[in-house]
Amino acid sequence: MTGPDQFGELEQLIAEFERSGLRELQVRAGDLEIYLSQDTTAAGLGIGSQVEVALSSPTTPAAAALPPVPEPVAAAAQAWPDGATVVAAPYLGTFYRSPKPGSPPYVEVGGDVTADSELCLVEVMKLFTAVRAGTAGKVVQVLASDGDLVSADQPLFVIAPIVGGAV
Amino acid sequence: MALSRLFIANRGEIALRVVRAAQALDLETVIGVSDADRGSAAARLADRALVLGPGPAARSYLDAMLVVQAAKASGCDALHPGYGFLSERAELARLCEEHGIIFVGPKPDMIEALGDKLRAREMAAAAGVPLVPGSGEIASAADARRIADQLGYPVLLKAAAGGGGRGMVIVRGPDEIEAGFHRASAEAQAAFNDGTLFMERFVPEARHVEVQLMGDGQGEVVHFGERDCSVQRRYQKVIEEAPCVAMPAALRTQLHGAAVSLAQSVSYRNAGTAEFLYDVARQEVYFIEVNARIQVEHPVTEMVTGRDLVQEQLRIAGGQGLSLRQADVVLTGHAMECRINAEDSTRDFVPVPGTVTRWRPPEGEGIRLDSHISEGAVIPPFYDSMIGKLIVHAATRDAAIDKLAAALDEFVVEGVPTTIPLHRKILRDPRFRANQIHTRWLEQDMFAKTPIAGET
Repeated sequence: MTGPDQFGELEQLIAEFERSGLRELQVRAGDLEIYLSQDTTAAGLGIGSQVEVALSSPTTPAAAALPPVPEPVAAAAQAWPDGATVVAAPYLGTFYRSPKPGSPPYVEVGGDVTADSELCLVEVMKLFTAVRAGTAGKVVQVLASDGDLVSADQPLFVIAPIVGGAV
Repeated sequence: MALSRLFIANRGEIALRVVRAAQALDLETVIGVSDADRGSAAARLADRALVLGPGPAARSYLDAMLVVQAAKASGCDALHPGYGFLSERAELARLCEEHGIIFVGPKPDMIEALGDKLRAREMAAAAGVPLVPGSGEIASAADARRIADQLGYPVLLKAAAGGGGRGMVIVRGPDEIEAGFHRASAEAQAAFNDGTLFMERFVPEARHVEVQLMGDGQGEVVHFGERDCSVQRRYQKVIEEAPCVAMPAALRTQLHGAAVSLAQSVSYRNAGTAEFLYDVARQEVYFIEVNARIQVEHPVTEMVTGRDLVQEQLRIAGGQGLSLRQADVVLTGHAMECRINAEDSTRDFVPVPGTVTRWRPPEGEGIRLDSHISEGAVIPPFYDSMIGKLIVHAATRDAAIDKLAAALDEFVVEGVPTTIPLHRKILRDPRFRANQIHTRWLEQDMFAKTPIAGET
């Protein structure tokens, strides 16, 4: 695979890379490996490359593809207020705090909710489920961040009863 | 200008399918994958694999600029978009054109025009294709009431920018029309950022029948017969078959003619599918829309025609024109496909990502499996739940049902629940066997009467 032709291709690759606006590019071809970066602080080969080109080779075993999901926090181990309700994820998926990108969150800490109030969306494989409070009260904690991958039954919100009953 | 290096801008089974078709034509293949799909079957089989970005599709498969830059940087001269993702976004086809990459599909303006359901209806009407009686754009709730009174209830409100059932509301009587209009408009606005609606007379108990088309972009169009996709759940196809034996031969010929005229009238380029409602009671077909891409269910057409539609797409994109004439398309026997999804039928079909720990697909004459899964494969949580399509071919519809049922009985999948039990149940149902079904049959009749067993 080495020879004058390949260097011609390399020049072309570099020119394309510069035009493309890509930040980093890594190429492996036989025993030749090239790493291009527009970022002067980039660490170099094999680290944090945004785009990687490999010749006929899988880069990582399949098992690495499923991102790690945080272990569900045992609700009992936390110091929730007395009588608080923990609202958990219905299934493994992506947690969204607002109905669509760019719009304000369904609820904020300190906000009052009713049993029917929607608190967030959890999405798995294009299926979006609105998670409801299930109880009236005040949101005292939000336990996941927008865009997080959450696991089934992972606590997402803590809702405390409103003392005195006034809403 | 035959193609030399193809970029595959998709994932899953269709990415693998396209890589194989390209390799059969001696094209080099480069696939752009997300970080979650680095180890996927298509990434392993392609000559090169590029990681576009992280798992979430918005930052990988749905970033048109990123995809085109990756295709350009890897020296590709053509790009296949598969189905879903960016396949019907005019933006991708346009960016390809601007960067000198051949888009394997229709021209950008055509994708845009067909994506607007109102414009697609106008095109069909201009080509003399029968439409469901309906309206143009509806200006207000009062306008909706007036049109519905003329059409007669029940009516269907639909989003002009729509698809997949979103922004679609059935209105059964005048007292529901105002609320229905506002609900459909709000749904359409939320889903498509465009609240424009139109109305059609609601056709109860219709079948979904579609015609596979292929055009050279110069006015030559060949059809590959029709598919019957009447087993649906939430507007998603569950089982597809070809041909539509429920339709008399004369009507089938009329249907093919209508679809071909429509495609010819706009000099359609590459693969497309004209979708129709078949009103069995009235013995009429009505145009719904054109899907400007290769479809999930294309294999049933391949099984009855013996033609490779993806290779045909690549040849057309390479400027070689259609490889066959209408008379060369001959249908043999009956084909049936079921979509195997990683979903839990005991929990309202919630999709379940995870690792496939056991995968023993059926094998045999007339059995085809289009899948990217093997033992140990990971189903990421970011994309749709389809993990394979099982397709059979036999002499008759009855024989195809038997073969598919036997193949499903053999199919072993462990690690994630699948829709295999659902398919087995459908295939055993006497109404499915008698072909007395319609697009709402699965949800209205079957789920109501017989819950799906919890077996996997």
